[in-house]
Amino acid sequence: MVTSVERTVAALTGKCHDRPPYTLTLSLYGARLIDCHPAIYYREPDSYIGGQRAVMELCSPDVLFTPFSLPLEAEMFGSELIFFRNAPPTVHKYCASSIEEFLRKKLPDTKSHPNWLYFEKVVSSLASEYKNAVPICAILAAPVDLPAILLGLERWMDALICDSRAVKDILETTCRHFTGFANDLLSHGASFIAVPMVFSNPSFLFKKQIDEVVLPILSHAFSQIKGPIVVHHGGSPINGLLSSYLTLPNVAAFALDSRDSISQARDIVGPGRLLMGNLSGLSLAKAKEEDILGEVDAILEDRKDDPSFLFATSHADVPWDTRPDLIRLIAQRIRREPCP
Amino acid sequence: MEPGETRERLIESILSGERSRADGIIDEWALAAGYQKTIADILEPVLTEIGRMWAEERISFAAGYLAGKVIEGTLAKAIQCQEVIPRSKGPVVIGNVEDDFQSLGRKFVVIFLLAAGWEVIDLGNDVPASTFVDTAVQVGSKVIGVSAMMLSTAENIRAIREEIDKRALSGRIQLAVGGAIFKLHPELASLFGGDGTAAHAVDASSLFEKLWERASQNGHIG
Repeated sequence: MVTSVERTVAALTGKCHDRPPYTLTLSLYGARLIDCHPAIYYREPDSYIGGQRAVMELCSPDVLFTPFSLPLEAEMFGSELIFFRNAPPTVHKYCASSIEEFLRKKLPDTKSHPNWLYFEKVVSSLASEYKNAVPICAILAAPVDLPAILLGLERWMDALICDSRAVKDILETTCRHFTGFANDLLSHGASFIAVPMVFSNPSFLFKKQIDEVVLPILSHAFSQIKGPIVVHHGGSPINGLLSSYLTLPNVAAFALDSRDSISQARDIVGPGRLLMGNLSGLSLAKAKEEDILGEVDAILEDRKDDPSFLFATSHADVPWDTRPDLIRLIAQRIRREPCP
Repeated sequence: MEPGETRERLIESILSGERSRADGIIDEWALAAGYQKTIADILEPVLTEIGRMWAEERISFAAGYLAGKVIEGTLAKAIQCQEVIPRSKGPVVIGNVEDDFQSLGRKFVVIFLLAAGWEVIDLGNDVPASTFVDTAVQVGSKVIGVSAMMLSTAENIRAIREEIDKRALSGRIQLAVGGAIFKLHPELASLFGGDGTAAHAVDASSLFEKLWERASQNGHIG
């Protein structure tokens, strides 16, 4: 029997197996399936693992995720979070009230923070439970994006526009955290790292800053990662950036936005590079079932000759109030597809 | 220098991320004409153009952000110079919905509304539904503007809709909604009880004008 690891590795290497691999971003959704409040789910590794076990029972995805909650990383630096009944936590209070304070204060050792240990335990338990049959993807904040949830978007944007010296100092800190955290999770059993990228997108930041600051720092950080990296669209279309991202080290795959054209992306990256996406995960709770399944069929039809494709939901987590039977139907639809 | 040429230079500096150059252009014009006239002759037309480019997705969030910063600085300098910016529109009530703490979008809406001559009551983050409606009734506002970043917090907008309806103020107080989630899914605006939305902070003033007009046609509050 073909395992999810074999299926995913086949897609990574451009070979086919029984069918296309798929995953849905069901990090949060596991909490719903086991009726667990996110304040517990994102604190107790056993709860999170129980949720992912329920995800496996529901739809047997070919990739499982660690918690998709970048604010948990901000908390390691001293930011304060707020928890909701049906969503991942967000930052309630930033770890410093100014750039100067951030640079002046002695930052905590993130490696000894309970959240770091929580992620380690989640990764090692998932890897152990699925005995390397299902790849585990760890989702981490990009070193250029993390400052926005440590300091606030406004302060980070101000620094990027007007204070290149502060930017350099802040990025030294976030790069050190990123490389240490990513490599630690890889060593505990993560198969690859996914990095949502917001500040490297020209729809977000000036091209000059992307070329002179963001891409060099990403290149430096990625070169130190001891495993494959998935560049995630971060909420905006990324087809226009793929050629720049191709130059980044250790990038094995791209997770596309639901508004990106996959065939155009394929033309840009060439054959053999894994593309992931691009069903809008956010729409699953609100759109009509027939529309969603029609979209699934359209994506599968579009990729029917592409062995380097992994069907996935784009954007962040699949919403809490999505019906479980719809998720099951989507999975069944993909499982019926033969491999090209 | 002609106003048209100055406006072009200002747009160019904003689009290339040159904050100090943009401020210099404003200050130079204000030295001769005063800030009030600079806002009317230079800044407002530039904002209209930036808003158009933003709506067409031809410029970055950073460029829109920088435009907001330039306005914020200009309004502050006008106050320092004791120039009174006329407030001919409003008042309107603005805030982030309950449980939402992402203030940047709201702050920019406030800046762009102030620049367009609105009187704005900013209630800040994490505002309960009843506070929005109480304040609107108290100050005689016909438009409430509510911001939410995520799907989960946007759901809380329904409570404001219910509060408006419960007090029989439907139609007379219009509900404008905005934030990252509505930019991605504008169809959610009506689903959560909003009367209108705008994709960018620059467009907030024209949305509020439309909603104010609609509310006026439905009678007065109280």
